[in-house]
Order: sequence, then C-alpha cells, then structure tokens
Amino acid sequence: LVVMAFRNVNRRRHVGLQQLSSLASIGRTLLGPLKSYKFIVNESTNESVLACSVVRLLESLDLTSAVGQLLNETIQAQSKEYKTGTATLLFLAGAWSSAVLECLQQNVPVPVIVSVMSEGLNSCSERVKCLQVSVHDLYEGPDSVPIQSNFSSARPQIFENKTPSAGSNSFLNPFMHFHKDVPVTEEECVPEGPCSHEANTCDLHNRCLSSPTYTTGRQMHSAVGPVGDKTMLSIPGSSSITSSCNKKRLTHSRHFNAVGKKGSLLHVGSFQGNPIGPSTHHYECKDFGQLAMALSHGNKASMKLVQDIVRCQQWKTNRTGLSQFNIEEIVTCCLPGVPESYSCICPGYVTSVSPEKAAVTKQLQGRLLQMLLIDGDLTEKYRHLGFNRPTNVKTVSESLGVQESSSGCSWTSRMLDILMQSEVNLILVKGNVCEHLMERCILNNILIINPVTQNVLYAFARVTGAKPVTYLTQVNSQCVGGGVGVDFWRTGELSTEELESRMLISIKAEGSTLVTAVLSSTVISKMQVIDDQFWTCAYRLQHALTDGKVFPGGGAVELFCLSHVQKLIDQALNQGNKNSAGEFHSAPCWMAESLAEFKPLVLKALASGWHKYLSTVLCNSANYTSEFEASISIKQHLKKVTGCGSPSAYILQEFNLREVVGKVGPDPLTKCMEFVQVYDNVTAKLEAWRRALDLVLLVLQTDSEIITGPKRNELLSSPVSSEFIFI
Amino acid sequence: MSRIEAKKPSLCTSAPLTKDTVSHSMSVLSGILKSCYGPTGRLKQLHNGMGGYVRTTSQSSTLLSGLSATHPILKVLTASVQNHVSRFSDCGLFAAILCCNLLENFQRIKLLPCTVAKISRHLLSLCTDYLKSEACACRILVDFNSIETLLCLVRSVLTSKPACMLNKTEADYIGILVIKAFLLTVPNNVETNVALGKCIIVPVKNKRVMDSTVFPGLLIEIPELQMARTFPIRRVSSSSIKIALFCISLSGDHSSTGEGTVVVHHGVSLELAELDQLLNLGKQLVNDQVGLVVCQKVIHPSLKQYLKEHHIIAVDRVGLSVMEPLSQMTGSKPIAAIYSLSPSCYGILKDLRTENFVSKHFLHLIPNDTLVCSLILCNRNETAWDELKVACQTAEHVLQLTVKQPLALLGGGCTETHLASYVKYEVFNLPTSTFESLDCSQAQYQLVADAFCHSLESIACCLEHDNGEILTDAVYGHFWSIPSGFPSDATWSDLVSKCGCGMHSNQQKLKWMVLRNQHSPFTPQSCCKDPCVKSPDLRALDCFVAKFSGLQVAVETANLILDLSYIIEDQN
Repeated sequence: LVVMAFRNVNRRRHVGLQQLSSLASIGRTLLGPLKSYKFIVNESTNESVLACSVVRLLESLDLTSAVGQLLNETIQAQSKEYKTGTATLLFLAGAWSSAVLECLQQNVPVPVIVSVMSEGLNSCSERVKCLQVSVHDLYEGPDSVPIQSNFSSARPQIFENKTPSAGSNSFLNPFMHFHKDVPVTEEECVPEGPCSHEANTCDLHNRCLSSPTYTTGRQMHSAVGPVGDKTMLSIPGSSSITSSCNKKRLTHSRHFNAVGKKGSLLHVGSFQGNPIGPSTHHYECKDFGQLAMALSHGNKASMKLVQDIVRCQQWKTNRTGLSQFNIEEIVTCCLPGVPESYSCICPGYVTSVSPEKAAVTKQLQGRLLQMLLIDGDLTEKYRHLGFNRPTNVKTVSESLGVQESSSGCSWTSRMLDILMQSEVNLILVKGNVCEHLMERCILNNILIINPVTQNVLYAFARVTGAKPVTYLTQVNSQCVGGGVGVDFWRTGELSTEELESRMLISIKAEGSTLVTAVLSSTVISKMQVIDDQFWTCAYRLQHALTDGKVFPGGGAVELFCLSHVQKLIDQALNQGNKNSAGEFHSAPCWMAESLAEFKPLVLKALASGWHKYLSTVLCNSANYTSEFEASISIKQHLKKVTGCGSPSAYILQEFNLREVVGKVGPDPLTKCMEFVQVYDNVTAKLEAWRRALDLVLLVLQTDSEIITGPKRNELLSSPVSSEFIFI
Repeated sequence: MSRIEAKKPSLCTSAPLTKDTVSHSMSVLSGILKSCYGPTGRLKQLHNGMGGYVRTTSQSSTLLSGLSATHPILKVLTASVQNHVSRFSDCGLFAAILCCNLLENFQRIKLLPCTVAKISRHLLSLCTDYLKSEACACRILVDFNSIETLLCLVRSVLTSKPACMLNKTEADYIGILVIKAFLLTVPNNVETNVALGKCIIVPVKNKRVMDSTVFPGLLIEIPELQMARTFPIRRVSSSSIKIALFCISLSGDHSSTGEGTVVVHHGVSLELAELDQLLNLGKQLVNDQVGLVVCQKVIHPSLKQYLKEHHIIAVDRVGLSVMEPLSQMTGSKPIAAIYSLSPSCYGILKDLRTENFVSKHFLHLIPNDTLVCSLILCNRNETAWDELKVACQTAEHVLQLTVKQPLALLGGGCTETHLASYVKYEVFNLPTSTFESLDCSQAQYQLVADAFCHSLESIACCLEHDNGEILTDAVYGHFWSIPSGFPSDATWSDLVSKCGCGMHSNQQKLKWMVLRNQHSPFTPQSCCKDPCVKSPDLRALDCFVAKFSGLQVAVETANLILDLSYIIEDQN
C-alpha cells in the first residue's frame, strides 16, 4: 500500500524554521575555542558518548525529521569536504532561521527574504576577501619552515629507532629508555637527516633525534621600502595571487604606520574584488610556525604534531622531489589508556600488534623485507566486488574418501606456498584474514597486518613498487615490493599493561612520506575527540596552504561583515525606490517595489546572525558574563569600525597584529598581554556561511512535506495527525 | 487438492469525477502543483517518513514520480503529464496545472462533456493556429548567433527551480556551461542526417557550483592509484588508440547458466575455468593491439592485472549511462561475449589523458570528432545537486528542441495572459457558422470559452505566491504584478515596473486592469515589427515546442477525464 500524506508547514510561524532553530541551539556551546563537552546518554541502553564536535554530536542524535535530516546532511557535507567550520555552520543556520522567522512575522514576502539574504551574503563574501592574509611564498622549502627557538627544550618528537643488529633481542633493551630523557639541543639536531633510514648507527644522539631543525628562527620583518604612496588602488579582476614582482613594501595611513612599528611587514598587491580605498592592502603571513599556531584555535598540542609532520614530510620530499604537505600520507594510531604526553609523530606506519606478531617482528627487524598489499580480505570465501556467487552448482564426487574439511586446509597450504615462493615477509591486508592462515604465517615468520586503510596501501604502493592485489593467486614478482623495514616502536617506555599486552611496531619504506601521528589519552572516551582535533588541525593547515591565504580570526571577519551590512542598509535607505528589478531574475515583478520597504529589515536579519555568533563566541570564551555585555562590546567596536574611513584597514590592524588572547583563545575585543594570532580558513568559512544560509532558505521556501510510504496508520494515530492531509 | 475461491465482482463507480474523495484528492494535488509553479514557487520535501533521503524539489518530474497517485483519475492525469515530461522535459507543471484548472472550470459550467470537448478542441485549435502563425505576438525567433536569447532561455529553466539554490552569478555560470555543452554536441559538418551528440553529466557533490566545468570528450572517474599507473598506453598509431567496450560482466562469475542445476565433479573448479577463459580473452585483446578496455560492469582482478601488465588500461564499473555515448563516439560495438570477438567491434580513440579535477581523478577519452562532452556538475549538497542535474538536463533538452524549431515563447506569464486575451477577442468575432458546425449554441460556446480563458489566466496567476495582485494591460495583454496591500488611491503605473517577460515597462503609457475582472475584448498587439527581438531586459523565455505540447496535453487530458463515466476496478 502506498500512501501519501501531506502536511502544510508554511504558517506565519514556519514549523521547519522553528525546528531548525531549536536543533541548532544544541550546538551553541561548541562554538569558539572553549568548547564544552557533551555527554549523550542513550536511556534504553545506558550507553553514553562524549561529543565535542558538531559532527559527532549529530551522529549520536536521532534526527528523523525531514529538517533534521537536511541539517545532518549539510553538516556532513561540510565536514567531509573541509573537516572544519561545522560549528559555525550549525550556529549560523540556527541564528539565521530565527532571524528569518522574525522577518516572516513582520510580513516580509518570502522572495524578498531569499533574494536580499542571498545577495547580501554574496556581497559580504566578496568584500571580506580584502581581509585575506596571503600565505604564499611561505612554503617553498625547508628553510621556510622555521622552528621556534624554544623547540630544543621540547620533548623530541620524531623517533628513529633503528635497533642495532647487535641488540636485535632488545625490545626490552634499557637503551631504549633514553629517548625521553635525552635533551636534544639545536646543534645536535640540525641539518643531518634525522629521519633517514641510512642513519643506521648505534649513536644515541642519532637514534633519537628530533625533527629537522633549521636555524632560521622566526623571521622578523621590518617595514622597509618606499614610503610615500598613500594608497594603492587595486586593479579590479586581477589575480589575487601576488607575485613577488608586483609587491611593494609600503607604510601608509595612521594605522599602517602603527603596524610598521610593531615590526611587521605590509604587502600591497593587486587584489580581487575591488573594495573601496585603502582596504586593498593585505598582510602577508611569513612565519610558518606562527601560521600553524594561529590556525590551531587552542589545540596547540594537536597542531604541534601537524607541524612536526610537515617538517618530516618536507624533509623527505626534498630528497624525492615529491609534493609538499600531503594529508593523504598521514595516518593516526590511537593508544587509549596511555598518557597524553606520549602523543608524537613517527615516520612510517605505526600500529599495534599481538604478542605473537611481535615475535615475528623480532625476527624480521633490521632486515629489508619483501612486502605484499592485499586490497580485500584474505580468506578462502572472499570474492571481489561484483562477483555473484552461483546458487545452482552442485558438486558431486565419485569416491567417498574426500572430506569437505580438507579443502580449507589445502587452500591455506596453497596460499602459504605462494607466499613462501614469492619470499614475502610482510603483508598489509585491507580486510579480514583467515585465522588459520594467520597462524601458519606466524609460524613461517610472515607478518600480516590488518586491517589497513586504503591510503596506507596506496602510500606503500607508491614507493615500494608493490601492486595491490585482490587474490594471492595473482601474486607474481611484479606485485611484490621491496625496501621495507619493520621495527618495534618505543617499546621500552610503554608498559605492556598500558597497551593491553599489545606491542607497537613501525613499518617504514624508503622514500615514503607516510607519517603516523600516535595519539594517546588516559581517558579512553576522549580518544575520539583527540583524533578529531588532530584531523581538524591537519585539514586547517592543508586548506590554508591550498587556499594560499587565511582570514584573521577571532571574529574579525564577522565584525567586518557587520559593518558591511550596515553600509548596505544605509545604501538601501538612501536609494529608496531606485533598485532595478533586473537585479533579480527570479523575483516577481513587484520585487523592486517591495525591496525599498523590506531590504533594511532583511539585511538586519542577516547581520543578526553574525552578531549572535560574535556574542556567543565572546561568552563562551568566558570573558563576558552575559550576552548583553558582549553585545555592548561588539557595538562599541562596530562603531569604531564604521567610524573610520576604511573598515578593512581598521580590522586588519586590530586583528591581524594585535596582541591578544591568553590561554583561553581568541578574544579579539579585549587586550591581553600574550601575542597569539588567530587565523581562520578562507574557503571553509565562506562555504560554511553559504551552506548555512542555503539550508535556511531551502527550509524557508518549503511549504509542505510529502510523506510517501506505508506509515499511514502511524501518522493517523500520531498527535499531529490533524496537520496531515491524506490522499 | 486445490482450493477454489469465488472471484470477487468488479467494482464499478459511475460518474467518478463527482465523488467527494476524488474531487478532494484532485484539489489537494492541484494545490501542491500550483504552489510549486514558477521561480518563487514553494518547495516540497519528499521523504518516506522513516529517515530516508529527503528530496527537496519543485519539479514536476520528481514530484509526480514521488507522489504515487492511487486513484485511477489521478493516475490518468499524472501519466499523461509524465509522458509529456519524458518527451519534452520542460513545462510539466504548466500542463498539469492547466489541466487541473480546465477540469475545475469545465465542471462548473454543467454542460455535456462531449459539447465541452468539442468546443475546447476548437478553442485549442484557435490557440495552436495562432501560435504557429507569423502574426503571433507572444513568440520570438531565437537567434543562434547570439548568446543572449539562448542564455535567457536556459536561465529561465534554471531559475524556475529554486531548490537548485543558485544565486544570480551561479545561475549565469551554469547557464553558460549548459550552452557550451550543448554547442559541443552539435556537429560541425551539416549533412543530410544530422544527429546531435550527447552531454554526460558527471556528478561531483559537496563542491561549489562555480567549480563546475565542461570538457569535450568523455570523463570517467578512476581511483587515484590507477591514475599513477596509467601510462604508457598501447597505441595503434600516434593518434589512435584501439578501444574495446564490454557490456557484460567480466567478473568471472558464471551467472549466465540460467535455470536448473549445474553438476560439477569434485576437483573441477568452475571459477578457474571461467578465469581461464577471461585470460584467453585478455590474450586476444593484447594480440589485437587494444589499448583501452572499458567494461560497464566488473572486471576480474586477475584479468585487470594481466591487461595492466601488457600496458592496456582497464576501466570497469562505468555504468550504463556512458555506454551509448562511448560507443557513439568511438565507433565501437558493445561486446556481449567473451569468445570470438570480431575485429570490427573495436573502436578508435584519438587520445587518452588524465585529468585532476576538484580532488578527483578522471580518465579523459578524446574521440576523433567530439560530439560527446562531459559536464562536471557540482553543487553543495545532495538534494540541491539532484535538482540541478534535472534542471540542466531540461535546459539542454530545451536547447535541442529549440534548434529544431528556433522559436521561443515569452515567459513570466505573458504568453498565457496574451493568449487569453487573443482567444477572448477571436471568440467575440467568430462567425455564427462556427457554432453551427460545432453543433452548439453561441451561449454554450461563450461559457466554455470563458472557462478556457479563465484557466489560462489562472495559471498565470499561479506564478504569484505572495498575495501580489495580477494585472494585465489593454494593449499587449501581458502579465504585470504589484505587491499585496497597495493603497486604493495609488495609480497603477507607479506600482508596476516591468511585465513578466520583461519586454515592457511602466514607461509606456498603457492601460492596466485587474486580470481576472471582466473587461471588453481587444486585439492584443505585437510589440514590435522585428520578430527577432533582442530586448536586453528580457527576463524569461519558454521553450516553444514544450509549451505548445503542454497546452495540447492539458486540454486533451482534461477532455478525457471529463468524459470518464465509469471506473471498473478488478478487486481480485
């Protein structure tokens, strides 16, 4: 029975928007640098989940309403694409839906809301580009990855524990304990290739080197160059990529002079989206470490790991000439129950293995191994995707002697024969492995690691020459890769209890830029959170590098948008009726007339989203006790911004180089002593805004829900059945 | 022993249209469709109420296939509209709403269905004759030398689907891409048998709309690792690569055994036998100097490996949709067997490249003469992407229909109001011989004509969803709208700005009146002498062929439904 039910949702109080706004309110404490963890308890099973990100939160909620599902889908899409910006998306979706509800109550026609809001956001997104900070030229070679001078006092982070052949029985070797305690000074860890395989030496210093360190230090810039040109007007439509030849170093205007004194450098370049006046100037971020920390948004520990990975990959890249920061070549290895101080990075692939496999590892360490990659299961019954098992085949046998069970044994033996013949010592398997085969392999000193993710398989395939195969019968000499080594990893330090009697091993291949971030936490339920935070940091940095630019964070962009919307409101009030309807092709003909009346109102609704966002961030970062207090502060700043001739110049000065933020995180509107900058991703942020608004406008324009399916009786008996029309 | 059960008698319902349930269902359906109409139409969330995918849409094709009407009368309506949509893509809502309007208005006048049918067919012929005539003032010639009219046509399709979530820049961008893609499918040399090529839409979800692009040739997504291993390719010569196209599964399962049981002796492996045959096929492909093997379904990993070792690129699971264009552009015949391949079934490619695009990897197949193109279509989320895909397909279809008949109708409601005023005027001046030949009185004719015109005007009014007032002018008979709640003493020329299609503005001294009020008939005039008008302000154009057919479908379906006197349902 196919039943169609139909519910009209468009009343003055739009049900969909109400749902959206209330759903979004659950995420308000996840906004900003100081997040509150949430416990989600399932009452029927008494299970609970700790969630600290919007994605995890929505994953654990049961969002069966249509709007809830659309929201979930939108958040997932943002997360899949950018891994960041989901809290912003959720918050703004909520804020804008309640703002739109207010517009509806004041009888603003829906098409007016849709056009004005979407054009308004478009205009803001274009104009806000003048706040972009370029990160070009920052990432050209290892010299450009300076290390803070205090790095030497930090715990060494990259370990290379080539165990000397003499101590091959030494995963309990006391020498291994040295890692932690050896102070790594700058001299020691300078240019020698610390992560190199060839550095096969017993020298302690070389064994536990930190990541490559370059003595460049933090670059200090001083404002030199021609002073004179007061402003540089931009060339509309020209490329936003500032090539080095058209850069001029200038100081100008009150603000910029002040900036220059602080020892920073201003680059003026041609820029897209021609804003007015001196707002075309943009700053350039020159210090990689500073950029990374500014993108960490309070997750310093995670970002430190990411920075180490960049160094490590970059160092290796320089030898092989491969591309730079490669997020595909990063894996995480989570160690729940181990103190957080053990979090670090390690070149190669780190994973935990059972004691039996550890014994095999012991046999194999120090040797160059032959490796095989299997991109499926390693079981007798497994068949590749798309293989349909025949249902109508009957096997008959003429003699009675053949036992059914023997086939399993013979398969294992045949597989083992293949492995022995191809002289493989190490197999990475994507899926499951037949236990019997696993046992036989262990006996024969063949190490099987599973399950392994696709990108690890690919990473090893790229450098070892191994070609992933689906069946062992496919194996020939061309599929086997070489130049791989396995070793124990920091075994001496971690007690077996902590790892639940498992051992950590690392697999490394020559020329590989694969890096494992080992993440640990004594609080097991926090493991997922830590893993998420690490990936968020990694992706933020990745986006910053691919975008080639960042936004000053801590509310700078939102404040700019507030000021820009105010400008648009003023324009609308002055222009009055003169708007051309041609601007909106999809709008009804009377749109032009209605615009004059409603545009300021709708623009205010748009601005209120960012205003709420700012005040919530301020409240969450605990510098303001109430939203009211925060909103007064925002108003004051907004007054200053609109008061000065060039809002972007003002904001850049205030936010890009202001010395703000304590441990708490980016609070732009208060003065603190510590110098910490905050940057945001450009594309991810603009996309989060757009997706949030799209969702709100999609729900706004929806007037009915059509439910098809066999749930007629449930709907009829539900308390809201009167809202449905059944056909 | 078999049980015999008496057959239930069939259920016969007389005069089905007068039943309450039917008219209720009909009015709900018509309400849903009307609220979706036009660029400011309201969207519908279609889902199964159990956590399934939520599709937000306002397009007739999605709505009608999702609604699954159960009553036979509704089925007649939806089926004929769906049939129209499958042939013309565009104007589905127009046909459906007009049909509902006609049914509603014809039922009110209480004439015999056959009289109504006769008269409405005559009215329809008045309309179609007028639309086809040179004198028609609501159509324009489409000039394929300039992009403006084409863009307007395409943009009208895109903006009438608000669930695509395009802003103005994006709508223009996608519009240009659709035109570009269409032009790539038009052959350069016009011979007697001209066939348009095909545009394949390659889905890339979760990306920005502005990341969309169009490539000549065919793009097939491949895994990253395969990409790195693709080259060198076996070429027949420097500019030709032999391609083999398989439409059967090469996965090595023997699914083609059919019914019955296969008995196999112990120790014999069907799978191995099958694989041996596949490898023989591989050998033949190598011998025949094939450079690229494309399979609609799955290729066995061992065969893939064998081919790869012989520098043959193997791509599997490409799906049905690319098979036809692939065979068309390479001249290869899809192979449905694994033995005795004839050399004539191979096709030729000019070149093969790889492309990286928005972090995906594609194999780019370049044929000798490109009549196939790939539109990489991006949108931010699933439901908006689905909607945009249908919109782009519709827009492309509209261009194809327009190239056959280079005409377009004025959009934004102007064609409907103009047509209504034309019919009113014609009916006013009909000779009495017409009524005699139709075997009806003039009064009867007038009643039906009023209902007909009223239906046309109502559908124009359906473009308005925010209580705006609809006006028409007494010169051109175009569509004008003003916001709700206008002061009673206001002059209308201050309130109107432009007509629906954008051709006229309030600068012209026109006389406006409320659309659905009675007013004396007038001859709607043509706006300008030049039929190939190029008004830069033109806001909306509709596909001539699609709307023409929509009009016919609506009238014929309404007549058919009115004429239904019994429904006989088999209850067994």
